[in-house]
Amino acid sequence: MNRRDWLIASAATAGSALTTGRLRRPKYARDLRPKRSRIAVLHSDEYSGKLDELVYQGLQLFGLDVRGKSVLLKPNIVEYIPGRPINTDTQLIGAAAEAFLRLDAASVIVAEGPGHHRDTDLLLHETGLGDQLKQRKVRFVDLNRDELIKTKLQANYSGLEHLWLPRSVTASDFIVSMPKVKTHHWACVTLSMKNMFGIVPGNRYGWPKNVLHWAGIHESILDICATVRPDFVIADAIVAMGGDGPLNGAPKILRTLLIADDPVAADGYLAGLLNIHPSDINHIREGAKFIGNHRYVTL
Amino acid sequence: MGLLQDIQAEIEKRSLSGGGWTASNGGRAGVETTCYGLMALDADQETARKKAIDLLLRLQNPDGSWPAFEGDDSQGCWTTALAAIALRFVSSPLEPPARAARWLLTHKGREGHWLWKWKFRTLDRAVQFNPDKYGWSWFPGTVSWVIPTAFSLIAIKQSLSYSENNRATDRIRIGTEMLRDRACPQGGWNAGNAVVFGSALGPHIDTTAIALLALTEPGDGTAAHALKSIRDAVTDCSSAYSLAWSAVAFCLHRDPVVHRCMDHLRRVIAGADGVSNMESLSLAAIAIKTAEGMGNPFEV
Repeated sequence: MNRRDWLIASAATAGSALTTGRLRRPKYARDLRPKRSRIAVLHSDEYSGKLDELVYQGLQLFGLDVRGKSVLLKPNIVEYIPGRPINTDTQLIGAAAEAFLRLDAASVIVAEGPGHHRDTDLLLHETGLGDQLKQRKVRFVDLNRDELIKTKLQANYSGLEHLWLPRSVTASDFIVSMPKVKTHHWACVTLSMKNMFGIVPGNRYGWPKNVLHWAGIHESILDICATVRPDFVIADAIVAMGGDGPLNGAPKILRTLLIADDPVAADGYLAGLLNIHPSDINHIREGAKFIGNHRYVTL
Repeated sequence: MGLLQDIQAEIEKRSLSGGGWTASNGGRAGVETTCYGLMALDADQETARKKAIDLLLRLQNPDGSWPAFEGDDSQGCWTTALAAIALRFVSSPLEPPARAARWLLTHKGREGHWLWKWKFRTLDRAVQFNPDKYGWSWFPGTVSWVIPTAFSLIAIKQSLSYSENNRATDRIRIGTEMLRDRACPQGGWNAGNAVVFGSALGPHIDTTAIALLALTEPGDGTAAHALKSIRDAVTDCSSAYSLAWSAVAFCLHRDPVVHRCMDHLRRVIAGADGVSNMESLSLAAIAIKTAEGMGNPFEV
Protein backbone atom coordinates (compact mmCIF):
# COMPACT_ATOMS: atom_id res chain seq x y z
CA MET A 1 0.00 0.00 0.00
CA ASN A 2 1.49 3.33 -1.00
CA ARG A 3 0.88 6.61 0.83
CA ARG A 4 -1.96 7.63 -1.51
CA ASP A 5 -3.80 4.31 -1.05
CA TRP A 6 -3.31 4.54 2.66
CA LEU A 7 -4.81 8.04 2.76
CA ILE A 8 -7.82 6.95 0.68
CA ALA A 9 -8.36 3.89 2.87
CA SER A 10 -8.11 5.98 6.03
CA ALA A 11 -10.59 8.53 4.69
CA ALA A 12 -13.03 5.79 3.70
CA THR A 13 -12.78 4.16 7.13
CA ALA A 14 -13.29 7.48 8.89
CA GLY A 15 -16.28 8.34 6.65
CA SER A 16 -17.81 4.95 7.22
CA ALA A 17 -17.34 5.25 11.00
CA LEU A 18 -18.93 8.70 10.94
CA THR A 19 -21.92 7.46 8.95
CA THR A 20 -22.37 4.41 11.17
CA GLY A 21 -22.06 6.62 14.25
CA ARG A 22 -24.74 8.93 12.93
CA LEU A 23 -27.02 6.02 12.15
CA ARG A 24 -26.45 4.51 15.59
CA ARG A 25 -26.88 7.78 17.45
CA PRO A 26 -30.25 7.77 19.19
CA LYS A 27 -32.86 10.05 17.67
CA TYR A 28 -33.99 11.18 21.09
CA ALA A 29 -32.35 13.52 23.59
CA ARG A 30 -33.47 11.86 26.82
CA ASP A 31 -34.65 8.48 28.00
CA LEU A 32 -37.97 9.27 29.65
CA ARG A 33 -38.92 5.74 30.65
CA PRO A 34 -39.92 5.39 34.27
CA LYS A 35 -38.56 2.55 36.40
CA ARG A 36 -41.97 0.93 36.47
CA SER A 37 -45.23 1.58 34.69
CA ARG A 38 -48.70 1.00 36.03
CA ILE A 39 -52.13 0.67 34.50
CA ALA A 40 -55.58 0.23 36.01
CA VAL A 41 -58.39 -1.31 33.97
CA LEU A 42 -61.77 -0.11 35.20
CA HIS A 43 -65.20 -1.02 33.89
CA SER A 44 -68.24 1.06 33.19
CA ASP A 45 -71.33 0.10 31.20
CA GLU A 46 -72.27 3.66 30.38
CA TYR A 47 -71.42 7.33 30.58
CA SER A 48 -73.14 8.63 33.67
CA GLY A 49 -72.66 10.59 36.87
CA LYS A 50 -71.11 7.42 38.36
CA LEU A 51 -67.93 8.20 36.45
CA ASP A 52 -67.07 10.93 38.96
CA GLU A 53 -66.50 8.38 41.69
CA LEU A 54 -65.00 5.75 39.39
CA VAL A 55 -62.34 8.12 38.06
CA TYR A 56 -61.55 9.45 41.53
CA GLN A 57 -61.10 5.93 42.89
CA GLY A 58 -59.00 5.04 39.85
CA LEU A 59 -56.65 7.96 40.46
CA GLN A 60 -56.32 6.99 44.12
CA LEU A 61 -54.92 3.62 43.07
CA PHE A 62 -51.85 5.48 41.79
CA GLY A 63 -51.30 7.53 44.94
CA LEU A 64 -50.90 10.62 42.77
CA ASP A 65 -49.67 13.79 44.37
CA VAL A 66 -50.95 16.70 42.31
CA ARG A 67 -51.38 19.09 45.23
CA GLY A 68 -50.61 22.62 44.13
CA LYS A 69 -49.99 21.56 40.54
CA SER A 70 -51.57 22.97 37.38
CA VAL A 71 -53.24 20.08 35.58
CA LEU A 72 -54.04 20.11 31.87
CA LEU A 73 -56.52 17.57 30.55
CA LYS A 74 -56.11 16.96 26.83
CA PRO A 75 -59.19 15.17 25.48
CA ASN A 76 -59.72 14.09 21.88
CA ILE A 77 -62.28 16.48 20.34
CA VAL A 78 -62.19 16.31 16.58
CA GLU A 79 -65.52 16.58 14.87
CA TYR A 80 -69.17 16.14 15.72
CA ILE A 81 -71.16 13.56 13.77
CA PRO A 82 -74.30 12.44 15.62
CA GLY A 83 -74.17 8.80 16.70
CA ARG A 84 -70.44 8.37 16.04
CA PRO A 85 -68.09 7.85 19.01
CA ILE A 86 -65.44 10.21 17.67
CA ASN A 87 -64.67 12.30 20.75
CA THR A 88 -63.71 11.60 24.33
CA ASP A 89 -66.99 11.51 26.24
CA THR A 90 -67.76 14.84 27.87
CA GLN A 91 -69.04 13.28 31.10
CA LEU A 92 -65.70 11.49 31.46
CA ILE A 93 -63.79 14.74 30.85
CA GLY A 94 -65.88 16.47 33.52
CA ALA A 95 -65.35 13.57 35.92
CA ALA A 96 -61.58 13.72 35.42
CA ALA A 97 -61.52 17.47 36.05
CA GLU A 98 -63.53 16.98 39.23
CA ALA A 99 -61.26 14.17 40.42
CA PHE A 100 -58.07 16.23 40.04
CA LEU A 101 -59.68 19.13 41.88
CA ARG A 102 -60.61 16.71 44.69
CA LEU A 103 -56.94 15.73 44.80
CA ASP A 104 -56.14 19.41 45.47
CA ALA A 105 -54.68 20.35 42.12
CA ALA A 106 -54.08 24.10 42.08
CA SER A 107 -55.93 24.39 38.78
CA VAL A 108 -57.45 22.15 36.14
CA ILE A 109 -58.00 23.22 32.56
CA VAL A 110 -59.32 21.27 29.60
CA ALA A 111 -57.37 22.11 26.46
CA GLU A 112 -57.64 20.95 22.86
CA GLY A 113 -56.81 22.19 19.38
CA PRO A 114 -59.27 20.45 17.06
CA GLY A 115 -57.57 19.36 13.87
CA HIS A 116 -60.24 19.97 11.25
CA HIS A 117 -62.75 22.33 12.77
CA ARG A 118 -61.84 26.01 13.07
CA ASP A 119 -65.03 26.90 14.92
CA THR A 120 -64.11 25.53 18.34
CA ASP A 121 -67.08 27.24 20.05
CA LEU A 122 -69.47 25.39 17.77
CA LEU A 123 -67.71 22.09 18.40
CA LEU A 124 -67.90 22.63 22.17
CA HIS A 125 -71.60 23.32 21.86
CA GLU A 126 -72.37 20.39 19.57
CA THR A 127 -70.43 17.86 21.63
CA GLY A 128 -71.88 19.17 24.91
CA LEU A 129 -68.40 19.79 26.33
CA GLY A 130 -69.10 23.50 26.71
CA ASP A 131 -72.09 22.86 28.99
CA GLN A 132 -70.28 20.13 30.89
CA LEU A 133 -67.38 22.43 31.74
CA LYS A 134 -69.63 25.38 32.50
CA GLN A 135 -71.56 23.33 35.05
CA ARG A 136 -68.33 22.27 36.70
CA LYS A 137 -66.74 25.73 36.41
CA VAL A 138 -63.74 24.34 34.54
CA ARG A 139 -62.00 26.52 31.95
CA PHE A 140 -61.45 25.42 28.36
CA VAL A 141 -58.42 26.61 26.39
CA ASP A 142 -58.49 26.55 22.59
CA LEU A 143 -54.96 25.38 21.81
CA ASN A 144 -55.39 26.43 18.19
CA ARG A 145 -55.39 30.06 19.31
CA ASP A 146 -53.24 30.12 22.43
CA GLU A 147 -50.06 32.15 22.87
CA LEU A 148 -47.15 30.20 21.37
CA ILE A 149 -43.68 29.37 22.61
CA LYS A 150 -40.94 28.20 20.25
CA THR A 151 -39.96 24.79 21.59
CA LYS A 152 -36.99 22.66 20.61
CA LEU A 153 -38.10 19.09 19.95
CA GLN A 154 -36.50 16.48 22.19
CA ALA A 155 -36.35 13.87 19.44
CA ASN A 156 -35.57 14.05 15.78
CA TYR A 157 -37.73 11.58 13.90
CA SER A 158 -39.68 14.16 11.87
CA GLY A 159 -36.84 16.52 11.01
CA LEU A 160 -38.94 19.45 12.22
CA GLU A 161 -36.39 20.41 14.92
CA HIS A 162 -38.78 22.76 16.70
CA LEU A 163 -42.49 23.45 17.03
CA TRP A 164 -44.41 26.45 18.26
CA LEU A 165 -46.42 25.05 21.17
CA PRO A 166 -49.17 26.64 23.28
CA ARG A 167 -48.09 28.34 26.48
CA SER A 168 -50.91 26.58 28.35
CA VAL A 169 -49.23 23.28 27.52
CA THR A 170 -45.63 24.26 28.17
CA ALA A 171 -46.56 25.94 31.46
CA SER A 172 -48.61 23.04 32.86
CA ASP A 173 -47.18 20.90 35.64
CA PHE A 174 -49.14 17.75 34.88
CA ILE A 175 -50.52 16.71 31.50
CA VAL A 176 -53.18 14.06 31.16
CA SER A 177 -53.86 12.60 27.72
CA MET A 178 -57.51 11.55 27.44
CA PRO A 179 -57.95 9.80 24.09
CA LYS A 180 -61.05 8.28 22.64
CA VAL A 181 -59.85 4.81 21.77
CA LYS A 182 -60.14 4.53 17.99
CA THR A 183 -58.69 3.05 14.88
CA HIS A 184 -57.13 5.55 12.50
CA HIS A 185 -56.49 5.21 8.76
CA TRP A 186 -53.07 6.76 8.76
CA ALA A 187 -51.76 6.37 12.31
CA CYS A 188 -53.35 2.92 12.73
CA VAL A 189 -54.76 4.00 16.12
CA THR A 190 -55.65 7.12 18.05
CA LEU A 191 -54.53 6.44 21.60
CA SER A 192 -52.78 8.54 24.22
CA MET A 193 -49.68 9.33 22.13
CA LYS A 194 -51.49 10.17 18.88
CA ASN A 195 -53.91 12.29 20.92
CA MET A 196 -51.02 14.69 21.59
CA PHE A 197 -51.24 15.86 17.95
CA GLY A 198 -53.97 18.13 19.28
CA ILE A 199 -51.54 20.31 21.20
CA VAL A 200 -50.01 21.52 17.92
CA PRO A 201 -51.69 24.84 17.17
CA GLY A 202 -53.81 25.38 14.07
CA ASN A 203 -53.06 29.08 13.88
CA ARG A 204 -49.42 28.18 13.23
CA TYR A 205 -49.74 24.87 11.39
CA GLY A 206 -53.20 24.98 9.77
CA TRP A 207 -56.39 22.95 9.85
CA PRO A 208 -55.57 20.10 9.50
CA LYS A 209 -52.01 20.20 10.81
CA ASN A 210 -50.75 19.11 7.45
CA VAL A 211 -47.11 19.97 8.21
CA LEU A 212 -47.09 17.00 10.60
CA HIS A 213 -48.54 14.66 7.98
CA TRP A 214 -45.79 15.55 5.53
CA ALA A 215 -43.14 15.17 8.23
CA GLY A 216 -44.55 11.69 8.98
CA ILE A 217 -47.39 10.93 11.38
CA HIS A 218 -45.54 8.36 13.51
CA GLU A 219 -42.38 10.47 13.43
CA SER A 220 -44.27 13.59 14.54
CA ILE A 221 -46.04 11.69 17.32
CA LEU A 222 -42.66 10.55 18.66
CA ASP A 223 -41.17 14.05 18.51
CA ILE A 224 -44.19 15.62 20.19
CA CYS A 225 -44.35 13.01 22.97
CA ALA A 226 -40.60 13.24 23.54
CA THR A 227 -41.05 16.97 24.07
CA VAL A 228 -44.36 17.02 25.94
CA ARG A 229 -44.64 13.56 27.42
CA PRO A 230 -48.10 12.94 28.90
CA ASP A 231 -47.68 12.39 32.64
CA PHE A 232 -50.84 10.38 32.85
CA VAL A 233 -53.50 8.72 30.71
CA ILE A 234 -57.25 8.40 31.16
CA ALA A 235 -58.53 6.63 28.06
CA ASP A 236 -62.14 6.37 26.99
CA ALA A 237 -62.78 2.82 25.76
CA ILE A 238 -66.25 2.55 27.26
CA VAL A 239 -67.54 2.94 23.73
CA ALA A 240 -64.54 2.89 21.39
CA MET A 241 -64.45 3.12 17.61
CA GLY A 242 -63.44 0.29 15.30
CA GLY A 243 -63.27 -0.06 11.52
CA ASP A 244 -63.21 3.07 9.41
CA GLY A 245 -61.78 5.45 12.05
CA PRO A 246 -61.15 8.12 13.12
CA LEU A 247 -64.46 9.58 11.87
CA ASN A 248 -66.50 6.96 10.07
CA GLY A 249 -65.94 3.85 12.17
CA ALA A 250 -68.54 1.89 14.06
CA PRO A 251 -69.04 1.93 17.84
CA LYS A 252 -67.09 -0.82 19.57
CA ILE A 253 -68.47 -1.37 23.05
CA LEU A 254 -65.59 -2.28 25.36
CA ARG A 255 -66.94 -0.94 28.69
CA THR A 256 -63.36 -0.08 29.63
CA LEU A 257 -61.81 2.94 31.23
CA LEU A 258 -58.03 2.71 31.24
CA ILE A 259 -55.93 4.74 33.62
CA ALA A 260 -52.13 4.67 33.37
CA ASP A 261 -49.01 6.52 34.38
CA ASP A 262 -47.18 5.66 31.16
CA PRO A 263 -48.44 6.47 27.64
CA VAL A 264 -46.55 3.61 25.97
CA ALA A 265 -47.87 1.05 28.46
CA ALA A 266 -51.38 2.48 28.05
CA ASP A 267 -51.25 2.42 24.26
CA GLY A 268 -49.85 -1.08 24.23
CA TYR A 269 -52.76 -2.33 26.31
CA LEU A 270 -55.35 -0.33 24.34
CA ALA A 271 -54.04 -1.47 20.95
CA GLY A 272 -54.68 -5.01 22.16
CA LEU A 273 -58.31 -4.08 22.85
CA LEU A 274 -58.58 -3.10 19.19
CA ASN A 275 -57.03 -6.44 18.22
CA ILE A 276 -53.83 -4.81 16.98
CA HIS A 277 -50.43 -5.93 18.18
CA PRO A 278 -48.59 -2.92 19.70
CA SER A 279 -45.36 -3.78 17.90
CA ASP A 280 -47.21 -3.35 14.59
CA ILE A 281 -47.66 0.34 15.40
CA ASN A 282 -44.48 2.29 14.65
CA HIS A 283 -44.84 5.01 17.24
CA ILE A 284 -45.61 2.55 20.05
CA ARG A 285 -42.76 0.25 19.08
CA GLU A 286 -40.25 3.11 18.83
CA GLY A 287 -41.73 4.93 21.83
CA ALA A 288 -40.89 1.92 23.98
CA LYS A 289 -37.21 2.76 23.44
CA PHE A 290 -37.40 6.09 25.28
CA ILE A 291 -40.89 7.41 26.07
CA GLY A 292 -42.32 4.59 28.15
CA ASN A 293 -42.37 0.89 28.81
CA HIS A 294 -44.05 -2.02 27.08
CA ARG A 295 -44.14 -3.83 30.41
CA TYR A 296 -46.46 -2.70 33.12
CA VAL A 297 -48.01 -3.66 36.41
CA THR A 298 -51.78 -3.87 36.52
CA LEU A 299 -53.20 -2.33 39.69
CA MET B 1 -74.90 52.86 21.76
CA GLY B 2 -75.97 50.24 19.24
CA LEU B 3 -74.68 46.71 19.09
CA LEU B 4 -72.08 47.51 16.42
CA GLN B 5 -70.70 50.43 18.38
CA ASP B 6 -70.56 48.34 21.57
CA ILE B 7 -68.58 45.63 19.81
CA GLN B 8 -66.27 48.14 18.16
CA ALA B 9 -65.63 49.84 21.51
CA GLU B 10 -64.70 46.46 22.99
CA ILE B 11 -62.37 45.71 20.08
CA GLU B 12 -60.76 49.12 20.43
CA LYS B 13 -60.26 48.50 24.14
CA ARG B 14 -58.50 45.20 23.47
CA SER B 15 -55.96 46.72 21.06
CA LEU B 16 -52.46 45.73 22.15
CA SER B 17 -50.00 48.44 23.12
CA GLY B 18 -47.79 47.52 20.16
CA GLY B 19 -50.79 47.44 17.84
CA GLY B 20 -53.09 44.68 16.60
CA TRP B 21 -54.95 42.03 18.51
CA THR B 22 -54.46 38.54 19.89
CA ALA B 23 -56.92 35.67 20.21
CA SER B 24 -55.18 34.48 23.38
CA ASN B 25 -54.31 36.02 26.72
CA GLY B 26 -50.78 36.72 25.54
CA GLY B 27 -49.24 39.96 24.42
CA ARG B 28 -48.20 39.03 20.88
CA ALA B 29 -50.48 40.02 18.03
CA GLY B 30 -51.80 37.38 15.64
CA VAL B 31 -52.00 38.35 11.98
CA GLU B 32 -55.38 36.69 11.42
CA THR B 33 -56.90 38.24 14.56
CA THR B 34 -55.45 41.64 13.68
CA CYS B 35 -56.91 41.51 10.17
CA TYR B 36 -60.42 40.86 11.52
CA GLY B 37 -60.05 43.58 14.18
CA LEU B 38 -58.89 46.05 11.56
CA MET B 39 -61.78 45.25 9.20
CA ALA B 40 -64.24 45.60 12.10
CA LEU B 41 -63.36 49.16 13.11
CA ASP B 42 -64.52 52.39 11.51
CA ALA B 43 -62.27 55.14 10.25
CA ASP B 44 -62.94 57.30 13.31
CA GLN B 45 -61.38 54.69 15.59
CA GLU B 46 -58.17 56.09 14.34
CA THR B 47 -55.61 55.15 17.00
CA ALA B 48 -56.32 51.42 17.13
CA ARG B 49 -56.66 51.27 13.35
CA LYS B 50 -53.43 53.10 12.68
CA LYS B 51 -51.51 50.96 15.16
CA ALA B 52 -52.90 47.80 13.56
CA ILE B 53 -51.99 48.97 10.06
CA ASP B 54 -48.49 49.89 11.21
CA LEU B 55 -48.12 46.49 12.84
CA LEU B 56 -49.17 44.64 9.68
CA LEU B 57 -46.81 46.71 7.55
CA ARG B 58 -44.03 46.07 10.03
CA LEU B 59 -44.65 42.30 10.06
CA GLN B 60 -44.61 41.85 6.29
CA ASN B 61 -41.63 39.72 5.27
CA PRO B 62 -39.17 41.04 2.66
CA ASP B 63 -40.58 38.53 0.14
CA GLY B 64 -44.08 40.04 0.47
CA SER B 65 -45.58 37.32 2.69
CA TRP B 66 -46.82 37.51 6.26
CA PRO B 67 -46.05 35.19 9.20
CA ALA B 68 -48.80 33.81 11.46
CA PHE B 69 -48.07 36.12 14.39
CA GLU B 70 -45.70 38.72 15.77
CA GLY B 71 -42.39 37.01 16.61
CA ASP B 72 -43.04 34.01 14.36
CA ASP B 73 -40.36 32.55 12.09
CA SER B 74 -40.03 34.58 8.92
CA GLN B 75 -41.54 31.93 6.66
CA GLY B 76 -44.71 33.29 5.07
CA CYS B 77 -48.06 31.53 5.27
CA TRP B 78 -51.77 31.69 4.48
CA THR B 79 -52.29 34.90 6.48
CA THR B 80 -50.59 36.68 3.57
CA ALA B 81 -53.86 36.68 1.62
CA LEU B 82 -55.88 37.87 4.60
CA ALA B 83 -53.45 40.70 5.38
CA ALA B 84 -53.59 41.84 1.76
CA ILE B 85 -57.40 41.85 1.88
CA ALA B 86 -57.46 43.77 5.19
CA LEU B 87 -54.93 46.40 4.10
CA ARG B 88 -56.71 46.98 0.83
CA PHE B 89 -60.03 47.36 2.66
CA VAL B 90 -58.67 50.11 4.90
CA SER B 91 -57.05 51.86 1.95
CA SER B 92 -53.48 51.62 3.14
CA PRO B 93 -50.71 51.97 0.50
CA LEU B 94 -51.20 49.61 -2.46
CA GLU B 95 -47.63 48.32 -2.63
CA PRO B 96 -47.76 45.85 0.33
CA PRO B 97 -50.88 44.01 -0.96
CA ALA B 98 -49.35 43.99 -4.45
CA ARG B 99 -46.18 42.35 -3.10
CA ALA B 100 -48.37 39.87 -1.22
CA ALA B 101 -50.21 38.99 -4.43
CA ARG B 102 -46.90 38.38 -6.19
CA TRP B 103 -45.82 36.06 -3.35
CA LEU B 104 -49.12 34.20 -3.60
CA LEU B 105 -48.60 33.67 -7.31
CA THR B 106 -45.27 31.98 -6.65
CA HIS B 107 -46.79 29.52 -4.17
CA LYS B 108 -49.07 26.58 -4.71
CA GLY B 109 -50.24 23.47 -2.92
CA ARG B 110 -47.73 20.64 -3.08
CA GLU B 111 -49.97 18.60 -5.37
CA GLY B 112 -49.31 21.27 -8.01
CA HIS B 113 -45.86 19.72 -8.54
CA TRP B 114 -45.70 16.94 -11.15
CA LEU B 115 -44.13 14.43 -8.74
CA TRP B 116 -46.82 14.75 -6.09
CA LYS B 117 -49.51 15.00 -8.76
CA TRP B 118 -48.35 11.59 -9.95
CA LYS B 119 -48.28 10.24 -6.37
CA PHE B 120 -51.84 11.41 -5.66
CA ARG B 121 -53.06 10.08 -8.98
CA THR B 122 -51.51 6.63 -8.63
CA LEU B 123 -50.31 5.63 -5.15
CA ASP B 124 -52.22 7.75 -2.68
CA ARG B 125 -55.93 7.70 -3.44
CA ALA B 126 -57.21 7.72 0.15
CA VAL B 127 -58.55 11.26 -0.15
CA GLN B 128 -60.51 11.66 -3.34
CA PHE B 129 -59.45 14.78 -5.20
CA ASN B 130 -58.10 15.84 -8.56
CA PRO B 131 -54.46 16.91 -8.14
CA ASP B 132 -54.60 18.89 -11.40
CA LYS B 133 -56.81 21.32 -9.52
CA TYR B 134 -54.68 22.93 -6.89
CA GLY B 135 -54.83 26.07 -4.83
CA TRP B 136 -52.95 27.31 -1.78
CA SER B 137 -51.77 25.66 1.43
CA TRP B 138 -51.81 26.87 5.02
CA PHE B 139 -48.01 26.71 5.00
CA PRO B 140 -45.53 26.22 2.15
CA GLY B 141 -44.61 22.62 1.49
CA THR B 142 -48.05 21.14 2.16
CA VAL B 143 -51.11 20.52 -0.02
CA SER B 144 -53.95 22.91 -0.84
CA TRP B 145 -56.85 23.45 1.51
CA VAL B 146 -60.15 25.24 1.11
CA ILE B 147 -59.75 28.30 3.37
CA PRO B 148 -56.27 29.39 2.25
CA THR B 149 -57.35 28.90 -1.35
CA ALA B 150 -60.50 30.99 -0.91
CA PHE B 151 -58.63 33.89 0.73
CA SER B 152 -55.83 33.73 -1.84
CA LEU B 153 -58.30 33.84 -4.73
CA ILE B 154 -59.96 36.93 -3.24
CA ALA B 155 -56.65 38.67 -2.57
CA ILE B 156 -55.38 38.00 -6.10
CA LYS B 157 -58.67 39.03 -7.74
CA GLN B 158 -58.65 42.25 -5.72
CA SER B 159 -55.12 43.02 -6.88
CA LEU B 160 -55.54 41.99 -10.52
CA SER B 161 -55.03 45.49 -11.85
CA TYR B 162 -51.52 45.62 -10.48
CA SER B 163 -50.38 42.00 -10.61
CA GLU B 164 -49.15 39.78 -13.40
CA ASN B 165 -52.41 39.33 -15.27
CA ASN B 166 -51.91 36.16 -17.32
CA ARG B 167 -50.40 34.19 -14.51
CA ALA B 168 -53.01 35.48 -12.09
CA THR B 169 -55.86 34.56 -14.42
CA ASP B 170 -54.51 31.04 -14.72
CA ARG B 171 -54.14 30.59 -10.97
CA ILE B 172 -57.63 32.00 -10.39
CA ARG B 173 -59.07 29.49 -12.84
CA ILE B 174 -57.23 26.49 -11.35
CA GLY B 175 -57.90 27.60 -7.77
CA THR B 176 -61.60 28.04 -8.49
CA GLU B 177 -61.71 24.57 -10.04
CA MET B 178 -59.95 23.22 -6.94
CA LEU B 179 -62.69 24.64 -4.70
CA ARG B 180 -65.36 23.05 -6.87
CA ASP B 181 -63.47 19.74 -6.86
CA ARG B 182 -63.20 19.68 -3.06
CA ALA B 183 -66.90 20.42 -2.37
CA CYS B 184 -68.71 17.87 -0.21
CA PRO B 185 -71.21 15.67 -2.04
CA GLN B 186 -74.02 17.10 0.12
CA GLY B 187 -72.94 20.68 -0.67
CA GLY B 188 -70.57 23.03 1.10
CA TRP B 189 -67.03 22.45 2.27
CA ASN B 190 -65.01 21.13 5.16
CA ALA B 191 -61.24 21.65 5.46
CA GLY B 192 -60.84 20.00 2.07
CA ASN B 193 -61.46 16.30 2.57
CA ALA B 194 -64.78 15.71 0.86
CA VAL B 195 -64.43 11.95 0.41
CA VAL B 196 -61.93 9.88 2.39
CA PHE B 197 -61.51 6.13 1.91
CA GLY B 198 -64.75 6.14 -0.03
CA SER B 199 -66.79 7.83 2.71
CA ALA B 200 -68.31 11.26 2.21
CA LEU B 201 -67.59 13.73 5.00
CA GLY B 202 -69.90 16.60 5.88
CA PRO B 203 -69.39 20.35 5.45
CA HIS B 204 -68.54 22.97 8.08
CA ILE B 205 -70.54 26.19 8.16
CA ASP B 206 -67.61 28.60 8.48
CA THR B 207 -65.50 26.94 5.79
CA THR B 208 -68.48 26.84 3.44
CA ALA B 209 -69.15 30.53 3.99
CA ILE B 210 -65.49 31.46 3.39
CA ALA B 211 -65.34 29.38 0.19
CA LEU B 212 -68.53 31.10 -0.99
CA LEU B 213 -66.78 34.47 -0.70
CA ALA B 214 -64.46 33.32 -3.48
CA LEU B 215 -67.12 31.75 -5.71
CA THR B 216 -69.33 34.64 -6.72
CA GLU B 217 -69.80 34.03 -10.45
CA PRO B 218 -73.52 34.08 -11.27
CA GLY B 219 -74.94 30.64 -12.06
CA ASP B 220 -72.22 28.68 -10.25
CA GLY B 221 -73.90 25.37 -9.39
CA THR B 222 -71.41 24.45 -6.66
CA ALA B 223 -72.00 27.77 -4.93
CA ALA B 224 -75.77 27.40 -5.20
CA HIS B 225 -75.58 23.92 -3.66
CA ALA B 226 -73.36 25.26 -0.85
CA LEU B 227 -75.65 28.20 -0.15
CA LYS B 228 -78.54 25.79 0.25
CA SER B 229 -76.53 23.71 2.74
CA ILE B 230 -75.73 26.67 5.03
CA ARG B 231 -79.20 28.22 4.73
CA ASP B 232 -80.48 25.21 6.68
CA ALA B 233 -77.46 24.89 8.96
CA VAL B 234 -77.50 28.45 10.32
CA THR B 235 -81.01 28.05 11.73
CA ASP B 236 -79.75 25.97 14.66
CA CYS B 237 -76.23 27.35 14.83
CA SER B 238 -75.16 28.65 18.23
CA SER B 239 -71.80 30.06 17.20
CA ALA B 240 -71.29 33.75 16.47
CA TYR B 241 -68.17 32.83 14.49
CA SER B 242 -70.00 30.63 11.97
CA LEU B 243 -73.07 32.89 11.85
CA ALA B 244 -70.94 35.95 11.11
CA TRP B 245 -69.08 34.26 8.25
CA SER B 246 -72.41 33.03 6.87
CA ALA B 247 -73.94 36.51 7.01
CA VAL B 248 -71.00 37.98 5.07
CA ALA B 249 -71.35 35.24 2.43
CA PHE B 250 -75.13 35.67 2.18
CA CYS B 251 -74.64 39.43 1.68
CA LEU B 252 -72.14 38.86 -1.10
CA HIS B 253 -74.51 36.41 -2.81
CA ARG B 254 -77.50 38.73 -2.17
CA ASP B 255 -79.29 35.87 -0.46
CA PRO B 256 -82.36 37.05 1.50
CA VAL B 257 -81.58 34.56 4.28
CA VAL B 258 -79.07 37.17 5.46
CA HIS B 259 -81.82 38.93 7.45
CA ARG B 260 -82.70 35.78 9.40
CA CYS B 261 -79.02 35.01 9.89
CA MET B 262 -78.30 38.52 11.21
CA ASP B 263 -81.24 38.37 13.63
CA HIS B 264 -79.90 35.08 14.92
CA LEU B 265 -76.36 36.47 15.22
CA ARG B 266 -77.61 39.46 17.21
CA ARG B 267 -79.50 37.12 19.55
CA VAL B 268 -76.42 34.96 20.13
CA ILE B 269 -74.25 38.00 20.89
CA ALA B 270 -76.81 39.47 23.27
CA GLY B 271 -77.54 36.05 24.85
CA ALA B 272 -76.75 34.94 28.36
CA ASP B 273 -73.36 33.52 27.45
CA GLY B 274 -72.42 36.46 25.24
CA VAL B 275 -69.37 36.28 23.01
CA SER B 276 -65.95 37.01 24.37
CA ASN B 277 -63.43 35.75 21.88
CA MET B 278 -61.79 38.43 19.82
CA GLU B 279 -62.18 36.80 16.42
CA SER B 280 -65.90 36.15 16.83
CA LEU B 281 -66.49 39.71 18.05
CA SER B 282 -64.61 41.18 15.09
CA LEU B 283 -66.38 38.95 12.61
CA ALA B 284 -69.74 39.90 14.13
CA ALA B 285 -68.89 43.58 13.60
CA ILE B 286 -67.78 42.86 10.01
CA ALA B 287 -71.08 41.03 9.40
CA ILE B 288 -73.16 43.89 10.80
CA LYS B 289 -71.25 46.46 8.75
CA THR B 290 -71.60 44.33 5.62
CA ALA B 291 -75.33 43.80 6.15
CA GLU B 292 -75.82 47.53 6.71
CA GLY B 293 -74.04 48.39 3.47
CA MET B 294 -70.91 49.79 5.09
CA GLY B 295 -68.60 47.76 2.83
CA ASN B 296 -67.66 44.11 2.43
CA PRO B 297 -63.89 43.52 2.73
CA PHE B 298 -64.13 40.34 0.65
CA GLU B 299 -65.91 41.89 -2.32
CA VAL B 300 -63.90 41.87 -5.53
